[in-house]
Amino acid sequence: MTTTSSTLRPKRGPHLVLMALYALFILASGSRAAVQISTKFHVAPLAYTLSAVAAVTYIVGWFAIRRAAHGKPRLAEVMLWVELAGVVVIGTLSLVKKDWFPDASVWSDYGGGYGWVPAALPIAALLWLHRTHEKTPPNQGGAA
Amino acid sequence: MHGSLAPIAWIVVGYAVIVALAAGLGLALRAPRPRWLDQMAWILEVLCVVLGLGALGSLLQGHRPESMSTHVGYLAALVCIMPVALGSMREERESWSSGVVVVAALATAVVAVRLMMTR
Repeated sequence: MTTTSSTLRPKRGPHLVLMALYALFILASGSRAAVQISTKFHVAPLAYTLSAVAAVTYIVGWFAIRRAAHGKPRLAEVMLWVELAGVVVIGTLSLVKKDWFPDASVWSDYGGGYGWVPAALPIAALLWLHRTHEKTPPNQGGAA
Repeated sequence: MHGSLAPIAWIVVGYAVIVALAAGLGLALRAPRPRWLDQMAWILEVLCVVLGLGALGSLLQGHRPESMSTHVGYLAALVCIMPVALGSMREERESWSSGVVVVAALATAVVAVRLMMTR
């Protein structure tokens, strides 16, 4: 292995599982939004648009975690909080404004349709980020 | 999906749970991912392909699920999840890579259940 590739190699650890979960939710929310928007958008336009927004958030979240594993946590620090806020706000709205959501979005009921994994995921990722950067000095951690 | 495929789907679900438990044990013990876990995961993939071919045959024989696009989406996900997961972990054998197998196996089980629900 070359020096460059070993320098670029991310640290091993739980981010592998986080990235797998994010990839899974990109697939789940992306295909759900694509099918719902293309076949019955008029039924619940807000909910289906929010599912698409969730899919985009997961795509950016996946890249953010990948970058954080390479020692660049800035994007993850923002995106994970944005994602958590999205789950909390949309989850709460889906409970108090039921007429806004004739059909469920990915984050309705705080992700209850997906076993509440959407709510647990940004929290787990933030904990990982916090622990990782507590241990890592600012200049260490891979490619600059 | 035709009713006769339901037992195969349940075998997929049960076996996927076993694979997830085995991988979870490896993760809990912080052991490097063993080769036999990959073999177990590939056997799960073979079962998924058998189920997928059966479901595809059912569609070709004229069976129409309530939502064709959703059903076909689950069908594609069923056969793609595990190879993508194992492919992404090909050169990585540390214990956390077993966690990826846990995620992929549980996702496969959920997709198999959803496939039965949308038949």
